[in-house]
Amino acid sequence: MAEDLQPQSHVGKSFPIKPKLKPKARTLSQTPESKYWSSFKPHQIPNLVSSIHSLDYSPNPPHLFAAAHSASLTLFSSKTLSQHSVINSFKDVVSCSSFRSDGSLLAAADVSGLVQVFDVKTRTPLRRLRSHARPVRFVKYPFLDKLHLVSGGDDGVVKYWDVAGESVVSNLLGHKDYVRCGDCSPVNAEMFVTGSYDHTVKLWDVRVENSRSVMEVNHGKPIEDVMFLPSGGLLATAGGNSLKIWDLIGGGKMVYSMENHNKTVTSICVGRVGKDGGEEAMQYRILSVALDGYMKVFDYGKMKVTHSMRFPAPLMSVAFSPDCMTRVVGSSNGIIFAGRRKKKENEESAVGNFWSLGRVEEPRKPTLRPTNYRYFQRGQSEKPKEWDYVVARPKKVKLGEHDKLLKKFRHKEALVSVLNGKNPENVVAVMEELVVRRKLLKCVSNLDNEELGLLLGFMQKYSTVPRYSGLLMGLMKKVLEMRAEDIKSSDALKGHIRNLKRSIEEEIRIQQSLQEMQGIISPLLRIAGRG
Amino acid sequence: MIRGGRSYVSSLPAFSNDAKRLLVCTANTVSIFSTSTALQISSLEGHTAPVTTVIVEPASSPANNILCYCWTASLDGTIRYWDFSVPELLKTINMKLPIHSMVIPSLLGQPADSNEKQFSLFAYVSLEGTRGTNSKKHKSKPKLLHGQVCKCNLTESRLVGGVTLAETKVPEPITISSSGKFFGIRKRHKLSIWKVPDTESERVVLRKITLHHTKRMTVIAFHPTERTVAAGDVTGRILIWRGFGDKTFASGDGLAGGKMISNDEEGPGVRNDDDADSCTTWHWHPSEVNLLFFSSDGAYLYSGGKEGVLVVWQLDTGKKKFLPRIGSPLLYFTVSPDPSLSSISCADNQIHLLKMPSMEILKSISGIKLPCSLPEEYEGFGSGVAFDLSSALVALRTENYCIQFYSLFDDRGISEVQGCERNHQPGDDVTVVVTLVALSQDGSMMSTVEVKLAEEGIGGLVCLKFWASESQNKKFSLSTIIYEPHRDAGISAVAFHPTRRVAVSSSYGGDFKVWVCNDELEQKDVMLQSSGWTCHAVGSYKKKAMTAAAFSADGSILAVAAETVITLWDPEKNVLIAVIGETLMPIVTLSFVGKSEYLVAASWGSKPQLSVWNLSKLSLSWSYMLRVEAVACAADLSLFAALALLPESSKCQESIGTTFQGRDGVILLFNATDPVPVATWSARKAKGGTLAFLQVNPSSIEENISDGKPPQTLLAYMNGDHEYVLFDPYGEETHELNVIPPKDLVDPEEIGQFGYASIYGELPEFELKRNQTLWVPSVPSEKPWETLFSGSSHNLPPLTKLCSAFLESLLEKRTAVVE
Repeated sequence: MAEDLQPQSHVGKSFPIKPKLKPKARTLSQTPESKYWSSFKPHQIPNLVSSIHSLDYSPNPPHLFAAAHSASLTLFSSKTLSQHSVINSFKDVVSCSSFRSDGSLLAAADVSGLVQVFDVKTRTPLRRLRSHARPVRFVKYPFLDKLHLVSGGDDGVVKYWDVAGESVVSNLLGHKDYVRCGDCSPVNAEMFVTGSYDHTVKLWDVRVENSRSVMEVNHGKPIEDVMFLPSGGLLATAGGNSLKIWDLIGGGKMVYSMENHNKTVTSICVGRVGKDGGEEAMQYRILSVALDGYMKVFDYGKMKVTHSMRFPAPLMSVAFSPDCMTRVVGSSNGIIFAGRRKKKENEESAVGNFWSLGRVEEPRKPTLRPTNYRYFQRGQSEKPKEWDYVVARPKKVKLGEHDKLLKKFRHKEALVSVLNGKNPENVVAVMEELVVRRKLLKCVSNLDNEELGLLLGFMQKYSTVPRYSGLLMGLMKKVLEMRAEDIKSSDALKGHIRNLKRSIEEEIRIQQSLQEMQGIISPLLRIAGRG
Repeated sequence: MIRGGRSYVSSLPAFSNDAKRLLVCTANTVSIFSTSTALQISSLEGHTAPVTTVIVEPASSPANNILCYCWTASLDGTIRYWDFSVPELLKTINMKLPIHSMVIPSLLGQPADSNEKQFSLFAYVSLEGTRGTNSKKHKSKPKLLHGQVCKCNLTESRLVGGVTLAETKVPEPITISSSGKFFGIRKRHKLSIWKVPDTESERVVLRKITLHHTKRMTVIAFHPTERTVAAGDVTGRILIWRGFGDKTFASGDGLAGGKMISNDEEGPGVRNDDDADSCTTWHWHPSEVNLLFFSSDGAYLYSGGKEGVLVVWQLDTGKKKFLPRIGSPLLYFTVSPDPSLSSISCADNQIHLLKMPSMEILKSISGIKLPCSLPEEYEGFGSGVAFDLSSALVALRTENYCIQFYSLFDDRGISEVQGCERNHQPGDDVTVVVTLVALSQDGSMMSTVEVKLAEEGIGGLVCLKFWASESQNKKFSLSTIIYEPHRDAGISAVAFHPTRRVAVSSSYGGDFKVWVCNDELEQKDVMLQSSGWTCHAVGSYKKKAMTAAAFSADGSILAVAAETVITLWDPEKNVLIAVIGETLMPIVTLSFVGKSEYLVAASWGSKPQLSVWNLSKLSLSWSYMLRVEAVACAADLSLFAALALLPESSKCQESIGTTFQGRDGVILLFNATDPVPVATWSARKAKGGTLAFLQVNPSSIEENISDGKPPQTLLAYMNGDHEYVLFDPYGEETHELNVIPPKDLVDPEEIGQFGYASIYGELPEFELKRNQTLWVPSVPSEKPWETLFSGSSHNLPPLTKLCSAFLESLLEKRTAVVE
């Protein structure tokens, strides 16, 4: 108690000199979430024929993903990000594809109005579903349902298919414009939503008799993509440059509207973030891509954009692998921007241990005897246990050579030693310390020619750096004044001065051009301010 | 009324016999500190002027270690004898002349005879008297002060007639050898040393020798066993005379014969015909030596001086050991009876307790730090004092670039924050200055401004620093450093927003900046990770230097003084709301009066002014031509207090001169609506003083003042020497005091009985940490001896325990306070 109340004494301490602190960057790349999203190592898959309309992951490991581009559907391995196989049996541009919940079948729709079901392994078309009169834009397997399909197209009709019989179970009418997208509920096999260019999203339930929509929400813009959020109670719609979150259980109320994109949002998907088993284990995020080339990560819990990434092309589609290891973004010029995280070995080994049966008998260590050299060293490198109270050794203050010299009041030696070092910050810090001790000019006058050359070289390099110029410009003037005689008599020093002159002239030129620029900009700013 | 902030280093402290307590002279009282905790346990109160000497009566045998008797001498002309364990005054001897120093040789080292009691106890005192009264030769200069060394019979309480050992221009401190055989004083270039006679009586003639040197001497010390004396001079030299007084003193002992032969043999280094074998000189200290002390075995000599390094000399070889970076000039060194403990007093009002052979600092008794000297261009700046109103702390800048937090109620240092990471060398000229300290209203945030002075125009730097403390312990950690916040212009003021994490800094460069802590920003949906301060807005008014800034009580208005006008801003939107008035000289202080619509401004210079502005009318309400040193506003009332320096002219006037003798300032309590002050008090050393209204939480006031209705707020006044006083400005009695000549509140010599104290008398010093065992109540009303022995005999405690309790119950006990 009494010790806590005691003011700690500052007696007998010595402080090493420290360079001035640098301002910390206030960019967002520092957050753990940004770190997570940047940890996807970028990888480009180029040379696909044209715009990638759709990307879909297989729900089964090893999580193949299908990219629909032009008149073909390419399957990629998500491990190596290399091409796995190509399905070419399309007559027209493929618009959409969907894996079945077990990953063995794949449904794909094309612009000719045909929906085909393929075996993923053999790539043979098993069923052809022909009923749409106009291009089909959306096809999807319902949740945990292996027998049915939902599709929608430019004829404005949403069809619920019986796949085995290649027949339409019900035609769901209601959209007044092209149906472009849709999603099936992640909690219910009978419910799904579709989005259309008539600005509305309709919620359908196939159990309802009269084939009317159960609910509809109006986004206000032609809808490009619609998606259930993992809870099944929320809906995300993308249209125009906005992304909106809707509460279905609450009767179709809009929860939030995110308008961070500059151009049309083309595709959205659900991503997950966070470490496995941590406190923030696996939180869901919405990934949205837009024609402006940005992918944004939206945290719909905090209603905040937590990360944003720029790609050099308009983006058309996005997908995030179920194992959280890869994310792929499709662009309009046929490039897939994939990203893959590094796998941690320990995760796998942990899983391995979990499955291994019984305990593996560990080989017993032989007890150490005094005959062994290690006997005498035992315990020396022991790591403290978690519960151990560690008596920390008092931290030793690290003193640089210049610090030691400054402590001995050998000022000139300190300056020279730090000039020989590589760190300009330290040099300036030592100079500042010398200023405080009123010894800098004395030091300068004591430098011999070689050391003066060192100082001039340093000044030539750094005197125009804005952080140091305040001190160095003043010092340079003084140095030139004080040591004019020595400089005149030495060729080497003259050379330094010439270099110095050149760098100063260059700086002046830069300043002049900056001023010109400022002259151009400031009236504009004035006008903008007035408006 | 609470006083505090007294100097702990005015004179040499003394250890108690068990080395568990340290007696320190603190102005009129002697404070007793525990050496294990470095906290004050009790105090001896009774002297009416600063105490100059405290001597603990040594124990004759280890068994008597618990004896706690001490002698004190004071400038009020009395010598008092105390039992400091109780504490109780036993005896008072009035000498009628101010005593500057006292030694009692017979307490030291003399063999304890069985018939010791028969001898009277003699002390040698250094008195201050006027030449006219004591010396008939110099009647022409009767006013000249001078000092004299006299002998005094303590047993019979009188000066020994006719024995004036020496006369000096100023009273000199007397130094005594630890054996008690010699004592001496320094007289400019000379040392005078007397030998204490073996048998003390009034008639004995003391033998004296004189040692000469060419420089003025500053300190002397005697070797504990040998006849060796060391003296330090102003140039930093230490002179050691060995075998002094062989001729003069030895002859008296009857050993004269052999030594007298070597009469014509000059000792090496000994000047004139000084009576010493040899004189050696050591020179390490670059300036004046303040401290000299021989270790108790006589093998080492401790020395220290202005540069703040304790040097240990090995006496035989002259080898040195150092305890460097103490950070302030050293004044005194004392050893305790416990050989492993000693204390060193520093000029910055700190007493460090040293663990001896290793010279580690165990504990520090930290008094309030003294105001630091500033280079001239920063002389006009405020006093560098900030008050934490809620917890009654004061933050002071110190010489060694620290900010000391000092608790006003507890009268002790709480913590120190290293404001800038530098070592302070006391002798060096000041090149880095902490110019401003500001605390937020809740005390959780601090801002300091430090200036590095340029060397011939190179390398000047202004830094604004923001600090944050996590909890109430006032351990501030650095949050943000801003280099050159207003380019190279100096900062004139920093003020915190009363409720939010917003601050404003105004500069002489013509702009002010509003700073926002990022925690504040985060609420506005801006993602930021670390908390730090960023610039929120910049404002300027006609490129005039901004000289002061203040937030209103609710934080909705920011007032910034642009030289002579006051500009009012909306701190949120950074919009100029209004400009008011024009003063004669640039404004240096701005303050909103509580929650009222008034604003107080003070300006200095050739035409100083205290002006009160009405914000609803945007006009001057009233003003005075007063040089106002500090302004403090009560939090919720429309009262404010101003500390005004008395103008030179009024000091010269005879009529006022009698009233304001030695006092240079007045504290005026105003109601903002009325130019007539509600109350006034006069104050001493007002230059550089500060004022603050402290909020008092009821828990602390309970112990503080046992009055029925505790005051809501206390007014704190801290003078230029950082001595402070807390009092209730609204007490009924204070208003009555208005008409009679104002009483001095600051000067300890003349305590104005006032307020509560005027009716009920002085309260004891308020002590949070009072040791319960030492708190002895006055005689209890019930009779313990009636119940002490009741009960069956086998249940009774042993007789030895009972006896002491029984006797104790019979003894009458008094409290420490002497009326």
